Amino acid sequence: MDDITRKKWDRAAPTFDIWSSSGQEKRWEPFKRTLFSNMSNQKVLFVALGTGLDVACFPEGRSITAIDISQKMLDRAKVRTDAYTGDLRVIQADVHDMPFDESQFDQVFTSCTFCSVPDPVGGLLALRRVLKPKGELFMFEHTGSRFFPFKLMMDLMTVVSRRFGPEMNRQTVDNVVKAGYRLKKVTPVYLDVVKTIHAVSTK
Amino acid sequence: METRPYFVFGDLIGNLTTGAFVGGLCTAVITLNWEVSIAMVAGMAIGMAVSLPAGVLFGSLFGALEVFLPVMTTGMVAGMVVGMRSSMVVIAFVDAVWVGGACGVGIVIVTYLANVWIQRGAQRWTT
Repeated sequence: MDDITRKKWDRAAPTFDIWSSSGQEKRWEPFKRTLFSNMSNQKVLFVALGTGLDVACFPEGRSITAIDISQKMLDRAKVRTDAYTGDLRVIQADVHDMPFDESQFDQVFTSCTFCSVPDPVGGLLALRRVLKPKGELFMFEHTGSRFFPFKLMMDLMTVVSRRFGPEMNRQTVDNVVKAGYRLKKVTPVYLDVVKTIHAVSTK
Repeated sequence: METRPYFVFGDLIGNLTTGAFVGGLCTAVITLNWEVSIAMVAGMAIGMAVSLPAGVLFGSLFGALEVFLPVMTTGMVAGMVVGMRSSMVVIAFVDAVWVGGACGVGIVIVTYLANVWIQRGAQRWTT
């Protein structure tokens, strides 16, 4: 397990909900609900559960395995995961080194995850390993922008933000393609910065 | 494009307040004897310094990057405009506040239009 990343998120856990839960979650909720409504009745992996803020947007009655690198985040998520009306199994795990066999999951979901995974292409390859052939990847992510002045700002913000949390200028759509997925749909939520990505594993 | 009243109101209030504050601060700091290009850079720096905490504050209420990016742009633009203006002519504090606030509203409109444009060209720009 990547101890540097684990410690970073352990430190962020006590104040994570203060920074993330109010305006941001309210604003993104309808887009997340729409994305998560694609969760099927088959085996679903959810990556980076955090404090479980996304659980409220999950459709009821699904069979979901959720991972996060930080046990302190998962401890805080317990109230929300216990309230979920379905089978939600929570495991502390690093996306680069998941304790799952190959081709175990039909779908993988992420939510603001690949701004923080240290090696994004490596992490996406690891997800491809646990996905069944033609398995689906659904992502809600913020990425860098191609447009001035937003690109400049996000590059500047990343200098600070990467010390305590996410990187703001990742090119996640390009990384998905590099990791061997076929893009099905990219839907912008806000400018070219916040978006949903639907891709299929090509293995 | 955002149409929910709470968030539209939040975007307007966040940018209007930040722009007005930056405008007032810039005209208080930058005076007639400043060289224009220095006044512009100083105004921009003041605007960005103010907009960082403003972005965090309004972001906690109204959204994340949807608030942070326009508010930072507002700080930068309002600082540049009022900073340059203050180095060229005497500008009253109230007028500087109004100009800064107007910059904020302008940035909200521009980002909403940019959002529509990007959504329309989604396939071309985002894949």
